[in-house]
Amino acid sequence: MNPIYQIALKNITYNKKRSIVTVLLGIASTALLVFMSALTDGSHDKMLKNAVEVYPSYIQITHKKFRDNPSFEHLIFDKKKVLDKLQTNRQIDTFSSRFETSVLFASKDKSVGAVVTGINPQKEKNLSKLYKSLLKGEYLNNNDTNSLYIGNELAYRLKIDIGDEVSFIGSGADYSFCADTFKVKGIFQTGLYDFDANSAFLNSSYFDEIFVSSNLATSIVVLPKNTKNSLKLSNEIDKLLPTELESKSWEQFMSSLLKAMELDSVFGYLTLSIFFIVIAFVILIYTLLVVYARIKEIGVLKAIGTSKAQIKQMLLFESVVLATISAIIGGLIGAYLAYYFNINPIDYGAQFEDQFKQYGMMATTLPTDFNLVTILRDIIIIFVLNILATLYPILKVNSYKPVEAINHV
Amino acid sequence: MIKIITIIILLSISSFAMDVQELIKKIENNLNGKTLYIKMTMIVQTKRTKRTMVMESWGEGTKKSFIKILYPKKDKGITFLKLDNNMWQYVPRIEKVIKIPASMMLQSWMGSDFSNDDLVKESSLSDDYDCKLKSEDEKLYKLELIPKEDSAVVWGKIEMSVSKKYLIPMSAKYFDEDDILVRVLEYKDIKKFKDRFYPTYWEMTPKLEEKAGHKTILIVEELVFDEEIKSSYFTKRALKRYSK
Repeated sequence: MNPIYQIALKNITYNKKRSIVTVLLGIASTALLVFMSALTDGSHDKMLKNAVEVYPSYIQITHKKFRDNPSFEHLIFDKKKVLDKLQTNRQIDTFSSRFETSVLFASKDKSVGAVVTGINPQKEKNLSKLYKSLLKGEYLNNNDTNSLYIGNELAYRLKIDIGDEVSFIGSGADYSFCADTFKVKGIFQTGLYDFDANSAFLNSSYFDEIFVSSNLATSIVVLPKNTKNSLKLSNEIDKLLPTELESKSWEQFMSSLLKAMELDSVFGYLTLSIFFIVIAFVILIYTLLVVYARIKEIGVLKAIGTSKAQIKQMLLFESVVLATISAIIGGLIGAYLAYYFNINPIDYGAQFEDQFKQYGMMATTLPTDFNLVTILRDIIIIFVLNILATLYPILKVNSYKPVEAINHV
Repeated sequence: MIKIITIIILLSISSFAMDVQELIKKIENNLNGKTLYIKMTMIVQTKRTKRTMVMESWGEGTKKSFIKILYPKKDKGITFLKLDNNMWQYVPRIEKVIKIPASMMLQSWMGSDFSNDDLVKESSLSDDYDCKLKSEDEKLYKLELIPKEDSAVVWGKIEMSVSKKYLIPMSAKYFDEDDILVRVLEYKDIKKFKDRFYPTYWEMTPKLEEKAGHKTILIVEELVFDEEIKSSYFTKRALKRYSK
């Protein structure tokens, strides 16, 4: 081994206190960064997953103009044909059609405008969180007639409970007038205020009778077997559809939420980068102090004929060894934390419920994201920072002349 | 001499300005009478559907009216009552009287291209609009109706062609506040009922792009003018009582 490296290693082991402090600093910053990234990424993933899975689902098929102008002119007019095509696709887990329309609900003493949707209760169990959000009473089944499954906020506004009757007036898919009286069978709470205050559901076979909507749908929702493939699968489905229809994956129809998350990530990274700068300065100052304390030693080395390049080599090697040790240990600690809280999500408690609802989340627990690529990225970032921070002090010290250095106080 | 001619001209102009407002009143009277009973068929067409409804309507002047749906079976017995500017609906299927809120006045009436507002306010043209004669030819007056400043109306402008012979509108074009043509109502097939003439075929065509292919046709089947109508028709109790 090159004697310079041997000296470097000796330096590290000889001055244990100095080496340990340097390593600890590195470990702490690496572990912290790895964990912070896992936390931000994890909460974003969870928020998106939650917002998608509560009701919208991963892929939606609609008429091309329906999103901008949801009128009865922009329906899926032959849903059977589309459903038949989806039947053969092996990448699809579940799919089902929905028909939603705005009506005026009227209970004994209140009337409130809301959206009523005809669903296939059995299939909807897999597609959305409706079934899991049951609060009171029972969920719908495929033989139900005028049984209504209603959001708790809407039920509250109408002052109705399980077993009560509620009427509505609205218009059918053929624009005809419709009215009927429903019996409340179940009340659900997803935690999304707007959704719970605006939605009610009926078994589609009965819904179609009242709203003259057989073989019509406002949307068809699709749950892919592998949800990560949504966009690709959606594009494939899009090609099978008649020209007036389109298929969009959640990344497309929930792009505003996605953008909000990205913006949030940007702020997250801004915070992180301030954090980096602080770490870099701490390392820089510490290295500066350490190296300055060694000016005499370096002067002696120079006096006995060690070249500038050799001294640079020695000091750099020392910092690489220390940085590597701290990266490995810090990385392992950070990764373990990310893994642990991935399995045991952090519970933020009830006092944060409202903030969570703003992001459309039902729960107040957030798991961290355990992603090896991100972890490796963060380790490398701190490692490079670590090395960069030692460069300036090394160059600075190395510029002293031997006599100056030996006499340096 | 010149003086006299000027006076005559001035007089004739002012009296004519009076006349236009009078004209609108006459037109209204010709369409509504003192009392009016109509039985009519309404055909609502869209790109993909066509529905037919049959209804009876009783009206007194322009302030009171009562409508009852006879067909289709699904809607049979639905009644509407209008008193001044208020409107109620009774739906037998849910056994409820619903007051149609102001916010729903512009919404479609029974899925047709007529709005609730048409049934309530349409008849107060002479009260809510300033009328101007734009041009005339042998057969028609062309009128322009601009809403009075303090009247709460939906339209920015109505252009109406009126038959000189019958003093009955032949067509009405409705513009919004941005002067965009929203819909056209045409009156055709004028027939004689006793001593009065009445258009028996009304065709409403919305002109907005999103309503392309929509059309509502009203065909008058029976018509009785100025025969007394029981005052019990114009009470809220009538909604349920005459529903059967």
